[in-house]
Amino acid sequence: MEIKYTIQGLLIYIAIAMYLLAFLTTFLRHERIGNFLYLFGFISAVLAFAYRWYDVRHVPLQNLFEVFLCLGVISYPVSWFCRYTLGAGGYSGDMLIAAIMLVPAGFVFSAEPQRLPPALQSWLFVPHVAVYALSYIFMEKATFQAILSLCVTGRMQHADSEEATYRMICIGFPLLTLGLILGSWWGKLAWGDYWGWDPKELWSLASWLVYVGYFHFRYMFGKKHARINSLWTIAGMVFILITLFWVNLSNLFSGLHSYAT
Amino acid sequence: MTALRAKSYLLSHLYLAIVISYIVQDKLHQYNSVTIVVRTIKEDLMNKFRRIVLWAALTLVLLLIFLSIYGAFLGAERAKSFFNSLPLAVYWTALTALLIVGIIVFRRLVRVPALLLIHVGCILILAGSIWGSQAGHKLQKKLLRIEKIPTGQMLIYEGQQENRVVLEDANQIGELPFYVRLKDFRVEYYKPDFLQIQTRQGKSWKVPVEIGKEISLGEDVGIVKIVRAFESFKIKVEDGKNVPFDDPNSAANPALEVEIKSPDGKAATRYVFERFPGHTYPEDRLHLWYQRIISDYVSQLQILQNNEVVAEKDIEVNHPLHFGGYHFYQYSYDADAGKYTILMVVSDSGLNFVYAGFLMLCIGALWHFWLKRITP
Repeated sequence: MEIKYTIQGLLIYIAIAMYLLAFLTTFLRHERIGNFLYLFGFISAVLAFAYRWYDVRHVPLQNLFEVFLCLGVISYPVSWFCRYTLGAGGYSGDMLIAAIMLVPAGFVFSAEPQRLPPALQSWLFVPHVAVYALSYIFMEKATFQAILSLCVTGRMQHADSEEATYRMICIGFPLLTLGLILGSWWGKLAWGDYWGWDPKELWSLASWLVYVGYFHFRYMFGKKHARINSLWTIAGMVFILITLFWVNLSNLFSGLHSYAT
Repeated sequence: MTALRAKSYLLSHLYLAIVISYIVQDKLHQYNSVTIVVRTIKEDLMNKFRRIVLWAALTLVLLLIFLSIYGAFLGAERAKSFFNSLPLAVYWTALTALLIVGIIVFRRLVRVPALLLIHVGCILILAGSIWGSQAGHKLQKKLLRIEKIPTGQMLIYEGQQENRVVLEDANQIGELPFYVRLKDFRVEYYKPDFLQIQTRQGKSWKVPVEIGKEISLGEDVGIVKIVRAFESFKIKVEDGKNVPFDDPNSAANPALEVEIKSPDGKAATRYVFERFPGHTYPEDRLHLWYQRIISDYVSQLQILQNNEVVAEKDIEVNHPLHFGGYHFYQYSYDADAGKYTILMVVSDSGLNFVYAGFLMLCIGALWHFWLKRITP
């Protein structure tokens, strides 16, 4: 637990508070106020991100503090896109999740500024991490829908949620693929091999394969086993979380990605 | 009478014609139904086969998920040898073969170009990486008599040239058909350097190094002044006194000369060494560290064939040199004196296939999932 008594910390805490208030007010059916608070929280998160960028003099996507800060920022445009372009539901859930995304940045990880080590000085650094962050947000939304589809009882509602999950994964999957391939290409330039069998690489491959399995399973059975479709999605998120946290934080695996703690 | 005969003649022929047409029709019908039956059986078998292929695909995907998890627990080094072992070679071949079979039996995979790109992309990635692996290099040697070093390391001193490569697998030495010369090697640092100061009570400061700068640490601690910076700190004796100086010819020993003025007015000169942190006198109230952060390692390389320079590049991390079917990477260096560099040499066999596969997979995935699926 690390409380940050800095301007940056303050901005993050304001954003978390606004996101939470937005969730509560929307939940209590005051949608206009909720939207306003959500936007206010987003602006605060953007300011925190911009401040960090200025502070470290490179795009802040180097460690988990910066990645979670970024996730807290991009949650807003992603949920806006999903609502207005895809007509997807779960807008109030997005607000709650945006707040949860900022919690590790606000309370868990250290904000000590770091210089970029030689391996990270590449133009592929930003697209590789940014594309992954974006895909994780879509996959998280998909998982949220999948859990919802497991909870609802009506056949029609169930099919709707299943379909919404599928559409979210259809957006997230190419981003996940792109992230994997950009990482692989970067690995070739920096470490000499496009695949190093590093634990983080293997977990990210496993998460990608879970979605590959999901698509093949859904092609085979359609919506006949809709609950199993949802379980695939949830499994995918579990794998993503392991990729994101466990490898970095545990001492179980040491690997090339160990600087990204 | 003749009319009657003619009538019966006509009738009998008509009857015959009708009978023949019935027979023909019946035969035709029989023929059609046979072809339909044959076609149906064929289609049925094909569908069953497609089902088997799909189940096999799902099984292999699930298997690879489990293998990846297992590999993650092994750690990179052991995972690499595990995924290059013989049983796994069988797995990779099976996966590649199944993808090819899939494209043959599922017409949809050919009709939908995006799906074709995705699956052919995967085949190219697998085929390229099999061709570029250790086993792939043995295969190249057997089939095409191409003898290439899969991967290894080379150590080159400044001003020297080298063509020997220490191979990764068996500590053997391989030779490149050309020489690599190291003109110069250097380590670059971020500016500014930092001086970290800590009191015995645990209070600490991290200040950027500026020569002549005085850092006031409060009334109870005093003032620290940064006097001078050394690249290679050395000491010589002049008139019976120890005099520090910067010796460009010796091994790097970065240091700072600082003056500590305590609150009681006493001044002491101290040397802070980057390489020897924690070097303090027992009477000192402050711990000092000299920190420099590496920004890059640069090897200036030349490729020589018949004693002529045919290629030249300053390689650094993320910017390798590509020549003669090999990539040369900045891998390690002489941390003590900076006199040599260690390069990693990697064969580029199969790499173009892998890159083509990457491109196809990306384009295919974006095309198929973004342009076709997301609209409600």
